[in-house]
Amino acid sequence: MTTKSLERFSFAERVSHWTSALCFLYAAFTGLALWSPRLFWLSGVFGGGETVRAWHPWGGLFFALALGVMFRRWVGQMQLDEDDEIWLAKSHLYAQHIEAGMPETGRFNGGQKMMFWLQSASAFFLLLSGLVIWFPEVAPRSARLIAILLHPICAAVSMGGIMVHFYMSTLAVPGSMGAMIGGKVTAGWAKSHHGKWFREVSGR
Amino acid sequence: MPATTVAKLVDTSLCIGCKACEVACQEWNDQEFTLGVFNNTYQTQPDLTPSFWNLIKFNEHVDDGVNSWLMAKYQCMHCADPGCLKACPAPGAIVQLPNGIVDFKQDNCIGCGYCITGCPFDVPRLSPTSKKVYKCSLCSDRVGAGMTPACIRTCPTNCLTFGSRTDLVQLAQIRTAELKEDGFKDAGVYDGPGVGGTNVMYVLKHASEPEKYGLPKDPRIPWTVSLWKGPLKWVANAAFLGTAVGAMLHYLKFGPKETHDDDEVA
Repeated sequence: MTTKSLERFSFAERVSHWTSALCFLYAAFTGLALWSPRLFWLSGVFGGGETVRAWHPWGGLFFALALGVMFRRWVGQMQLDEDDEIWLAKSHLYAQHIEAGMPETGRFNGGQKMMFWLQSASAFFLLLSGLVIWFPEVAPRSARLIAILLHPICAAVSMGGIMVHFYMSTLAVPGSMGAMIGGKVTAGWAKSHHGKWFREVSGR
Repeated sequence: MPATTVAKLVDTSLCIGCKACEVACQEWNDQEFTLGVFNNTYQTQPDLTPSFWNLIKFNEHVDDGVNSWLMAKYQCMHCADPGCLKACPAPGAIVQLPNGIVDFKQDNCIGCGYCITGCPFDVPRLSPTSKKVYKCSLCSDRVGAGMTPACIRTCPTNCLTFGSRTDLVQLAQIRTAELKEDGFKDAGVYDGPGVGGTNVMYVLKHASEPEKYGLPKDPRIPWTVSLWKGPLKWVANAAFLGTAVGAMLHYLKFGPKETHDDDEVA
């Protein structure tokens, strides 16, 4: 039995991740309720249409704030380097678990970095368009006409990304959910999935 | 027997600006009038409000040095293809009755305001107190009981007529022909073909320039609203489904990415 000896995510990182994750889920499901009359039944799960209309914007705002904290913490580590570009070009091999020719990855691999930028960009535009939709009696009509289209496009991109993120963190890469909950991984896990990072933190 | 589509014809050439229709609307719908902005015109107030659904616009017009008003009755147009209904997420908050009336049911309204963005005529108004949206109901309660709408009942000049849409289209054409005989060569009917036809129609002396009456030239449901509620919905649904199916197939074919046992370091 190997012990989880390496700290993968600090307490602060886990708090900001799960705060934004819960806010995201609330905003996503209440957003789906407002997306189509056929999904309006979802509003019943969250206290009814008027409640959803009143609170969805707050859920979104807190999501953006929590993501903003994560962004500040991780933006430096999320810059793509040359290895990441090679990794991304060969990501189809990664998906097939073929390791030959794949560059070793640091704390985050190219896919995780892309997820970070995808979520950050979509959250930024969701926040902007969401503020416009929040106050229809104040926002100018031209802004509202753009916002009602931009908001669901960004939401769909973001939610599609999170579906991939969710699959990767639960089924596809065992150990990653534990890393985000307990914060620690085994040395073997680190070496297998983030070789460059493993050498940095373990000194081996 | 299918219900007859009802309509309202506004013959702007006969409006004298008496505002009796505004008062009748307020009284029948039991709306309190609060004195709003006074901006040195004869118009009651600049705009519609959540408790003021029918406004006669006194559009000032100068023709050969002669001042006149181009009166226009600003209210819900009861479109055959309503942009408000297309944009609305709450089932039953906006209903299109078999007789063509588009009615807002405030009990089901959640106050999102999407209908305000969807409306090509900028008519619905969100109440800051009740957080519900309001507009002219074409007196659907009166019409349902066989009466004419309050504004039409009170109009002293026959500027306003209520009836079946087919009959009123004919009447509008007769009035247009009469105006042309009287020398108004540009006279015509305004009934919003871009939104499938409106059940509130106008006879205008200057039909080629409806903007002079404060009416949009070619009213249509905004394309962003149509795209949002049409193709985008299916693209997004397909993308979600594709992602879910893709993840399942990936897991079944390749399985999880395991940690190598020989990499385990004590």
